[in-house]
Amino acid sequence: MPYQLDNRPPDLREQMYFPEIIRGIGTVTAHFFRNLFFSRDANPDILARPRGLGYSDNVTLQYPEEKQPYPPGYRGLHRLVPREDGKPRCVACYMCATACPAQCIYIEAAEYPDDPVEKYPARFVIDELRCVVCGFCVEACPKDAIRMDTGEHAPPSYTREAQVLDEKRLLRGEPVSYQSDPWLRRDAPSIPADKLAEMKANARPFPSVATDEYAQTPGFSVRALAAEARDRAERARR
Amino acid sequence: VKRFFGMSLALVLIVVALMGLAGVFYLAAGWLGWGFNLAFGRDGTVDPALVHFGASIANVLTLMMVVLMISGSLLTVAERKWSALLQNRIGANRITIGGSPMGGIPYLAADALKMLTKERVEPVAATRFLYELAPLLSFAPVFCLFAIVPVGPPIDLGAIAAGAVGSGQHVALQVAKIDTGLLYLFAIASLQVYGTSLAGWASNNKLALLGGVRASSQMISYEVSLGLSLVGTMMAYRTLQLDEMVAAQGQAVLGLAPGWGLLLQPVGFLIFFTSGFAETKRAPFDLPEGESEIVGYFLEYSGMKFGMMFLAEFLEIAVFAGVITAVFLGGWHPLPIAGVTEWLRLNLHPLAFAAVCGGVFLVKMIVMMWLQLVIRWLLPRFRYDQIQQLCWKILLPAALANIFVTGAAILLDPSLKLLATLGVITIVVVAVLVGATGKAPAAAHAEPHAAGH
Repeated sequence: MPYQLDNRPPDLREQMYFPEIIRGIGTVTAHFFRNLFFSRDANPDILARPRGLGYSDNVTLQYPEEKQPYPPGYRGLHRLVPREDGKPRCVACYMCATACPAQCIYIEAAEYPDDPVEKYPARFVIDELRCVVCGFCVEACPKDAIRMDTGEHAPPSYTREAQVLDEKRLLRGEPVSYQSDPWLRRDAPSIPADKLAEMKANARPFPSVATDEYAQTPGFSVRALAAEARDRAERARR
Repeated sequence: VKRFFGMSLALVLIVVALMGLAGVFYLAAGWLGWGFNLAFGRDGTVDPALVHFGASIANVLTLMMVVLMISGSLLTVAERKWSALLQNRIGANRITIGGSPMGGIPYLAADALKMLTKERVEPVAATRFLYELAPLLSFAPVFCLFAIVPVGPPIDLGAIAAGAVGSGQHVALQVAKIDTGLLYLFAIASLQVYGTSLAGWASNNKLALLGGVRASSQMISYEVSLGLSLVGTMMAYRTLQLDEMVAAQGQAVLGLAPGWGLLLQPVGFLIFFTSGFAETKRAPFDLPEGESEIVGYFLEYSGMKFGMMFLAEFLEIAVFAGVITAVFLGGWHPLPIAGVTEWLRLNLHPLAFAAVCGGVFLVKMIVMMWLQLVIRWLLPRFRYDQIQQLCWKILLPAALANIFVTGAAILLDPSLKLLATLGVITIVVVAVLVGATGKAPAAAHAEPHAAGH
């Protein structure tokens, strides 16, 4: 944490330099032995790590092995939200592709052979290299079928092709069903009966706000952190 | 909490292991010395020269090759891990053996492999002979320096080799007993500057030359205060030999306090530590290297030739730690209480006594190396004029004053009591200066404001 030094001229002891060096050795030695004798806490929420005597001063996060989860609003890699029967919720309405300012979404619609009412995306391709991560596709979607809640950024790759995600790679994560889903309300024939019953049992009301439970990290609270920062500012002012 | 007990156990084990190591060194010296006598001497007689010769060869192998080389190369790892601990970091831990980074020690092998397999890049216009000679010249004197450091006390050879009982021969963990002692130290330490300045000169590179020139002027300046700072100890112990100095430090001068160099010569200790630090050319005195301004005198060296210069710096740290331990920290005397050494000598088997003392010396040496690394990571690099000012305007007058005061104290009171009292007073004054936590009065810095308006 930054702290302010008052800008006074050095006193006699400080001008003598040697005593100050010895004091500095003392300070650094205290750190040395604390870090030598006590192990590092691996809590990714660094501010929540215990501090003081008997604890390591180390604030390192061993990045590739330990990661700090992104905050709930973070727009990560896209995913197509599946239904309980493994099919995408997407109905191939093209609204995301239309809203996309980078034109990085390509959709090919098809019909379920045993259900003449509903469409599904036979191809759903997102070019993550062209994507500007604006999140308009998520907001445009009327079926909550595309989300950016994976909490991952685009992974590195050796080829450009690897950054073009098709429907097989996009379709992942927890399945979701809503009471308002048309395929539930009219008992769509493309869904097996037992799956339909399961989906109806799990169905929830359609959310009115964008954030949802998948993005929440246990123990992470923006409000708590903001309150802490406010407290610090308050104390610094006093 | 698990780590706390693990680390405490590890520290205790290290101390015990060092004592064991010292014992093994004694056995090696004793057996080789006695073996030489059996192999080359006439039957039934003990030839002191042969015993001494064999023991010296064993000491060269154990002290110089094992202790110095291993501590020097371990210091390259310690520099990373200890600096990490000082700065609340983790430090080098990417090379793992069986999933454990082993405290960074595998980096030793990786570094050696890297140095040895790197491409050799040499400047075309370099003075070839001097260019090749420079790494050797900076490497070799450091080893020679360690020859006079007494790591362990002399013990009777009969305690090690049964045939030598009553022969009156002694073995000690010291390569060479030289009558000139500290003068030898100064002489060889001055040779080090040739390595660095030749490296800078022969590379045919302006920045390297600048580094070499800086190195030579800095090291020659600090040689003066380095020498003068030890004159006080020479007078107090009335000898130039390091082993006799260490032996003299066991005697009580003030109650139970023994005459350790730190007690008799605290000012000399500070000056010697500072000048010795400057001699090792490490931060805050790393002007010759100065990697952010000039790359330094070894700019044109690659591969293992750079590695030798790099390693020589760490060896200097180890040697300097050894010398300062012997002169100021009581050498192999285990505790700063007079009589403890004698009690141990009487109550322990001679070999066990020697092992304890040798192990204690190694522990003190490690602590001094650690202190040097701490200071290296504590202070930023001085400016060049600050370095010369510190040497000529502060350290040199202080060293001269120290000599006069010490001489007067010894003249007035040859039993060293007065000198020890002066030392205690100095230490107390320094402690008060360090401990005093006075803040400048608030009015002092408010006033200029008021006057300005």
